[in-house]
Parts: sequence; structure tokens; C-alpha cells
Amino acid sequence: MKKMDFDRHLLSKLGQYLILIIAAIIILFPIWSAFNISMMSDTEMGAYPPIQFPTGIRLENVKRALTQAPLGRYLFNSVVQSTLVMLGQLITSSLAAYAFAFIDFKWRNIFFLLFLSTMMIPWEATIIPNYLFVQKLGWTDTFQGLAVPFMATGFGTFLLRQFFLKIPHELKDAATIDGCSHSRFLLTIVLPLARPALGTLAVYSFLQTYNQYLWPLLVTNNPSMRTVQIGIALLQDEERLMINIIMAGVIFIQIPTLTLFVVSNRQLIRGLTAGAVKG
Amino acid sequence: MDNNLSHNQPLSGRVIKQKARLSGVQKRSIKNFFQALLFLSPALILFILFVFIPLFRSFEISAYITDPIGRLAKFVGFQNYRRLFETPDFINSLKRTLIFVLYTVPTTILISLGLAVLGDLRLKGISFFRMVFSVSIAISGATASLMFLYIYHPTVGVNYLLSLVGVHNMTWLVSHKTALMSVSLTAVWLQIGLNTVILLAAMQTIPEELYESAMIDGANGWNKFVHITLPMLSSTFFFLLVVDILAAFQTFTPIHIMTHGGPLQSTNLLVYSIYREFYFNGKFGFAAAQSIMLFFVMLILTILQFVFVERKVYYE
Amino acid sequence: MKNRVFILLSLLMIFSMVLSACVTATQAPVEEPETEPPVVEEPEEEEEEAEPMPTLAPPAEEEEVVKIDFWHSMGGDLGGIAIPEMANNFNASQTQCYVEPIYQGSYDDALNKLRASLQTGETPAVMQLYDIGTRLMVDLQVITPVQEFIDRDSYDVSDLEPNVLAYYTVEGQQASMPFNTSTPMLYYNKDMFEAAGLDPENPPRTFDEIAEAARLLTLKDDAGNVTVTGISMSIYGWFFEQLLAVSGGYYVNNGNGRDALATEATFNSPEGVAILEWWKGMYDEGLMGDYGRVNADVRTAFYAEQTAMFVDSTAVLRGAMDTVAGKFEIGTAYLPRPNEEAFDTSGTIIGGGSLWIISDSPPEQQDCAWEFIKFQASPDQQAYWHTMSGYFPIRETAYEEPLAVEWRDKYPQFATAVNQLHLAPNNRVTQGGLIGVFPTARQTIESAIEEVLAGVATPQEALDKAALTVTQAIEEYNISMGLTE
Repeated sequence: MKKMDFDRHLLSKLGQYLILIIAAIIILFPIWSAFNISMMSDTEMGAYPPIQFPTGIRLENVKRALTQAPLGRYLFNSVVQSTLVMLGQLITSSLAAYAFAFIDFKWRNIFFLLFLSTMMIPWEATIIPNYLFVQKLGWTDTFQGLAVPFMATGFGTFLLRQFFLKIPHELKDAATIDGCSHSRFLLTIVLPLARPALGTLAVYSFLQTYNQYLWPLLVTNNPSMRTVQIGIALLQDEERLMINIIMAGVIFIQIPTLTLFVVSNRQLIRGLTAGAVKG
Repeated sequence: MDNNLSHNQPLSGRVIKQKARLSGVQKRSIKNFFQALLFLSPALILFILFVFIPLFRSFEISAYITDPIGRLAKFVGFQNYRRLFETPDFINSLKRTLIFVLYTVPTTILISLGLAVLGDLRLKGISFFRMVFSVSIAISGATASLMFLYIYHPTVGVNYLLSLVGVHNMTWLVSHKTALMSVSLTAVWLQIGLNTVILLAAMQTIPEELYESAMIDGANGWNKFVHITLPMLSSTFFFLLVVDILAAFQTFTPIHIMTHGGPLQSTNLLVYSIYREFYFNGKFGFAAAQSIMLFFVMLILTILQFVFVERKVYYE
Repeated sequence: MKNRVFILLSLLMIFSMVLSACVTATQAPVEEPETEPPVVEEPEEEEEEAEPMPTLAPPAEEEEVVKIDFWHSMGGDLGGIAIPEMANNFNASQTQCYVEPIYQGSYDDALNKLRASLQTGETPAVMQLYDIGTRLMVDLQVITPVQEFIDRDSYDVSDLEPNVLAYYTVEGQQASMPFNTSTPMLYYNKDMFEAAGLDPENPPRTFDEIAEAARLLTLKDDAGNVTVTGISMSIYGWFFEQLLAVSGGYYVNNGNGRDALATEATFNSPEGVAILEWWKGMYDEGLMGDYGRVNADVRTAFYAEQTAMFVDSTAVLRGAMDTVAGKFEIGTAYLPRPNEEAFDTSGTIIGGGSLWIISDSPPEQQDCAWEFIKFQASPDQQAYWHTMSGYFPIRETAYEEPLAVEWRDKYPQFATAVNQLHLAPNNRVTQGGLIGVFPTARQTIESAIEEVLAGVATPQEALDKAALTVTQAIEEYNISMGLTE
């Protein structure tokens, strides 16, 4: 009896691992194939049947990518820009979401809709007027020109508001009775509880900004200020598309984001497993 | 203090009608309003400067025909909008976008739910799998599109692997029948990471006691899932629904990199067709009208969701 | 108390904004070599950044250095190595002008950035734009035709390729200076030709011959699945334009828009229809690989020996040779024509891009722009550019330069391209269409081709519909530019 239970238990555990592994393989497949291509030599790109595993670690592909486009410099700029936007978004969204979740004020829903509406505005509607404005401010070729227009986010506010709403009223009431002010409550209680959501927002906003192409292209001219997606475009020569170099460049620029992701993931997980709100 | 009857009546009326000394509640309401405004102001100022003012400017442009440099040339009022409904392109884009939303949003949420459930298993090394499932957060749209572009190559991409198991000539991006699905797959892959993480985070906040008491009552895994997990996740589902739909409407990069709107306009989603109008055709006024139109579509959809769907959400 | 925290948060935000400003200030645009990865084969890049010229305060009696921006859309090796090298050579060759090349994304990106910067005054002095932007650039009235400088300096253009110059001549004036020039060719796998019993030294020349060859080259496996297609052509508007030209067809009326302003699209002529019928015929027979609009995918398939022939720009040759690296022998042939007679009566149109001088710039900048244009048109610079890119030199004598001769030894197949260029008579057809809505037109044609291949419309129907769309676009363009009287 016991043995049968044990076997069934083991089998279901194995089954679970199997499903997990299959899911992981499927999800990782695109990244794997990009990595695979980035390690191909020029001639291997034309091989048939197509090569599925790298025959060698060809770091020179990365080097070649870096000579065609100053990806190192661009990477730095992108990281700075994305970090600034991330910090800005965390601050503005936390403050705004707090108001929506904990302060009962007139026209709250209308303001909230207003914030949400910013997520519905297509970028084509704002990019040229913003460029003209930023240019007038003298912010072209600067980090503030790259970052400030994006420091507020409807998405972030929405995300945090949903999370804040799940914090029980009793906590807030107790705090109010204790004479705790809004900001104190926000800083000492709400934000620590909301770490997983904050972490998610941080990573998300960093990534969104990292992904930008048109805005940095418009707002910067100086090669020392340009960002990574422009670098990737620079790698693509229509007539001589070297896919291995492009993929090498692409993997290279994803390194900071992947690193951020891995590091924050541990923090997220710690937040996830430790932060269950009791009762 | 909370038992003051007066707080059942609309405050605005009271403030205007009664010139008498403001009661405690009213004082607090005005105080609340300004407090809230203080908290909202950083975001609000940025929005006004970089979102709303440009939006109004675009609205202005949409009432004009522009010269090829982009300067306003001729005032035409609502003519651009009327033309929209006369051009089959716009109607097609609207249709394709709605289909795209239908392809991607439910798929994303369902797959992410599955991954979140898997990621919630109490197994050793599960944190590694959680990381893998959410990895698409770290990958930018352009990167993913480039990766999938190669995968979708008619002969040397994944088609080669498929041919080994007897599946031949998947047309992926080349045929108008499959292009939208292929792009949807890329979009879904990109969105899964974020959705899974959010669902996982939400699942972690469901109190253990609920599950324990259900088990005592004799509930099995499926029951627990349907009657506890899903309702407790409803606010998260709502959030993801709104956000994913808005993201789907704004999908641009995969189209730009993989299909350029084709073949046969089957992937000419609204945001992309606006871009084309803007970029290739230089018709800024017309493009602006389309943007405004798109904005209203998304606005109405979101309002509808808040009005009809949010009431089903269970907040604690 | 609560305000204290709020103030703190706002300060933090302001601080980060100030920090970004400070960070910017310390990144003085000049010295970057340290942050560049230590790549020895890239002295150009570092030299570029370390050039002290703009910051050197010149002595009073010397002229001030005039700094100009050169906007281009070349990526890869060309934008990363060749163009900076040419800029450095120019800067080193004289002391009045200093050119800084700036990559501005694709041609469309650059054009849109130009539009935006015309409103802010941050325009470049010299800019590269695609061939199909020629009419638009002239009509925008933001350029100074290089003819003015040619006349002023009595610049000798007799050595420049007439076909190439003619493309960029608008209303009798040389509007821009050609820069990167190419024509399309047929590429084929010589090994596969032999295996199929075809003569690898005598490639097919006409539509029918191509179809014949494709039939022999298409291979199937036992189950009847096609494993190798005889020919592949990506759905690219440029190919259609070229095929139309070699068939003697006009893209638009009024001498392709060069005798007078174009008002109507004419590519739905019998010549145009014949092209699509040929294309569709091969497609339906299963002789053609379907790679949609992606040229690069067709190339990949060719390298992987999945298709035996393909059509693409002459500039593709170098990349093809490097990737194939002897796995099989690559052959090049003229772009196929409808029949043998067409070789005498018509020819290919040149494609690529040219350099424009933007009139928004102060006169001394325009002068420098002209100096730079002249410099890159010199034989040795042209030879360098040609060998780095695979584009044609615009000057015949550049072919004699040692670099070019060496290159031809390495890539003998390129001779086909040169011959094809010289084979083409210089008439309105080969000068190509001149319309302001070319990007739109190209996309419309591509949609038409898709419709035909998908069986949704016949060639005539698809082209008629496309012609209507393009004609409408041309009309609107002419009105919006105030061109119609």
C-alpha cells in the first residue's frame, strides 16, 4: 500500500517535472535559436540542413558587431535612460496609485480614467509634437530629453493601484488611528508590502524604455548619445544582411536586461514567497 | 465622526449651497482632494506636458491637410474622419486588429495562467522554472521579432525541424492566411512573461487558510482551483484583460520587423497603418485623424470593461 | 511631516534629472576611445571621435573650420567603417571643412527626421536619400541643386556615368549627386546548373528561357514535395520596376514624368501584365520559392542551396561570395528580358541613393557640402567605396584604380553588372519613373503582386487597381505641392 502511494507520488512528481521541462524548452526556443545563430560563422549561415547547435563560441561575431556599431556606448546610454525612466515611473506611479487606493476624493474615478487614457494614446499622436517641444527646451542630445517625457505611466499607476487595493482597509484604519500620515503609511507599510508589484513595474518600465527606437532616433544626433535599438538598426545593411552578426549584437544588448531580470527575479521571488498578506 | 448623516449627500452641493461654517467632514473632503492632488501631481504634470498637450495638438492637426513637410496646409474640419470610413484600408485595419486582439489576449492569459500554476508548484528548483517562464519580460519586442523572423523562415527555420516530423511547408509569414497568426504567436510569447509574473505574484497573496479550510471540507485540487484560486485572481484577471487588450491594440514592432502590414494587408494593424500613413505617405493630418480614432476606440473599450466587467471582480 | 517625505521624493526626482544633466555635461562629444571596445581594426571610429578640429581654436588669420553634418542611411560595414573612413579622408585632406557622418536609420527614418528638423532648423548640410525620393526632394524645395555648384566651378562631369547622372537629373538640372548605385542581376548556382544538364556558362536570358531552366532545376523528393525550387524572387516593387524597364514599359506617363510632370500611372500596360503573368506562371507551376517580401530570406535559401536562381541587387554579390565561400560556384547574369530584342531596345534602371545639399544651411556649409561631394566623387574614393560596398563607381576611371582592379579579380562575376549598366541605352524608360509618391507606389505594386500570386486577382486586374491607386496618389501629391497649374 505504502509503496504504491510512494510510486504514484513519485510518478506525479516526475510528471510535473516533465511538463515543466517541456514548457521551459518551448519558451526558451526563440532565445536559443538566436544564440545559436550568433555563434555561426559566415559560411555556416548558408548550411543546409541548418545547424542546430553552435559548433564553437565565436565571440568575434560580437566584436564584429561592435565595430559596425558602437554598441558599448549605446548600451551605456540605454541603461542610463532606462534607469532614469524606471526611477521616475516608480516614484510617480507609487504616489498616484496611493492616492487612488487610499484617499477618497472627489472625481477620483474621473482622474483614474484620465490616467488610464494615457495608455490609449497611440505614440504617433504624440511623437512629433513632443520632439518639437523637447527641441525647444534645448533637450536634444541629452539624457533628460530621452527620459523625462516617459517618467509618468498610466500602466504603472494602474498596476500599483490594483495591488494597493488588495491591502486590507483595517491596516489603513489602524494606521490612521495611530496618527500615521499618508506619506508615512505609504513609505513604511504600503511600499514594503508592494515589493513584488514594484519589482515588476521596475523591470517592465526599464524594458519598455530599452526597446525604444524612434524617439531616441529623433531626439539624438550625436553618436555618443544614441541608444541600443538604433545600434541594431545600424547593423542591418540591406544588401549584406549578416544574420549572425545581427544576432550577436542583439544578444549583446540584451545582456543588461537579462542580468537585471535575473537579479530582480530573485528579489521578486523573495517578495513572492515571503510577502503573503495574512488574513 | 463617520456617522455624520451629511456624508451621504453629494459634497459639491453642500459646499456651494451652505455658506455656513464647513463641517468636519466637508473640511476633510476638501483636504482629501488637495492631498490627493499633491500625490497625483508629479504624474499629472508630466502627462499634461508630454501626453495631453501633444494629443490636443494632434487633434488640431487631424483637422487639416498637411504639406509634405508636415506643416498645416488646409483646414478641412472633419473631412479626414469621414474619409476614414470610406477607405477600405481603415476598415480592414480595424477588423484585423480586432481579430488580432481575439487571437492574442485570451491565449496570453490562459497560457500565463497555466505557467503560473506550474510555477506555483512546491517543487525543488521551481524558482529556476519561474525565471524561465517570465524571461520574455527581459526581451525587447525588436529582439523577439528578429528571433521569430528567423524561426519563421520558409525553409531553414523551424520548418526544417517540422519537416523532420513530417510537417511540410508551413507558410508562417508568407501567406495571408497564416501571417496574422504567426505575428500573434510572437506577440503572445512577448506578453507571457509579464502576465505570468503578475499572476504568480497575485497567487502568492491568496491566504493559505482558505485552501486549508477547503481541504478540510473535502475539496480536491480542481475544486480548490475553480472556487478559490480563480475568484481570488479575478482582480488580476481584470487588470491583465485591460492591459493586454490595450497592448494588443498598440502592437507595432513585430509587424514593423516581420511583415510590414502584409501579405495582402492581413497584418496591417491600426497602429501600423497609421505609421504608414505618417511615414510613407506623409499624410500627417490623415494619420492624426486615425490616431484620434484609435484612441477613442480604446477609450470606449476600456470604459466598457470597467463598467461591465469590474463589478464581477472580487476585491477583499 | 507628510510634506517632508513628499518633498524628499520630489527632490529625488529633481536630483535624478540634474544628475542626468551633469552626466551629459561630462560626456563631451569628443574623446570616446576609452569607452569603445579595444578593437584594433577600427582606428577610423576612434579617430573620428578624437578629431580635435572643431574644438581647436584656430588662429585669427585662418578661416574658421566649417562643421557640417552628413546624414546617411548605411548600416553594416558601410555605415560603420566605409563612411567614417571616407569622412576622415576628407577631413584630413583639407582644413576648411569638417564633415561628421551621422546614421539616421533607414531612408524613411532619415526623410521623416528631415521633415521634423526643417521645423526646428537642425538640418544637415548634406544628406543621402534613396533614388525614389528624388522628385519629392526637389518638390519640397529644401535643396540646392548640385547643378548650381557644377556650373559655378565648371566641374567636369564628362567622366561620370551618363545613365547614373540622368536618373538624378530633374527638369534639365542635376539635382543631386549619385552616391550608391546598383542594378539588379540574376544570380544562379553553377553547380546546380551542371547537375541539371544546363550550361553554367550560358545562363538563360529571356523569360521563357528562365522558366525552362527553372523547370529543370526544381527538384522534388519521392513524396512529391518540392525540395529545391528553380528560382525565387522576393516580392519587391523595385524588381517590377526593373522588369518593366527592360521590357520597354513606362512606369508613369509624360516620358516617365521626365518630359513633363507625371499625372498618371501607366504600369498596367501589356508589358507590366506580361511580367506578372510570367511570374505567376512559374509560381503556379511550383517552380518558385515563396519568401514573401523578404530579400534576405531568398538569399539565405540560395546559400543553403534551396533555390537555384534568384534576382537581387548587384551589391549583394560580395556578401553572397563571402557566405557561400566556395561551397558552390555563383554565376551572375543579366536581368531577364521578355525576348532577345529587348536587349537592344531597353535596359535596367539604376537604383540606390544620392547626395543632396540642403538649402536650409548657411552658404559656407553648402560650400563644404559640395567640397565633400566632389571629394567622394574622385576616382580613388569611388574605388574605395565601390570595393567596400559592391555599388558601382559613378566615375568610369575609378575602374582603373588598383583597388578596383584587384576587386574585380576577386569577384569576376561583377563584370556582368558593369556590362549590364553599359548595355542600357540612355532613354526615358531606363531613366526610371520620376514621381513624388514612389514609396507608396512601390508598396501598392507589392500588394498587387501578392494578390496575383494568391490568386485573388488576375495580373491585369491587380495592376489596374494598383494603377488607379497610384494615379490618385499622384494627383493628390501634385495638388498638395501646388504643382498643377
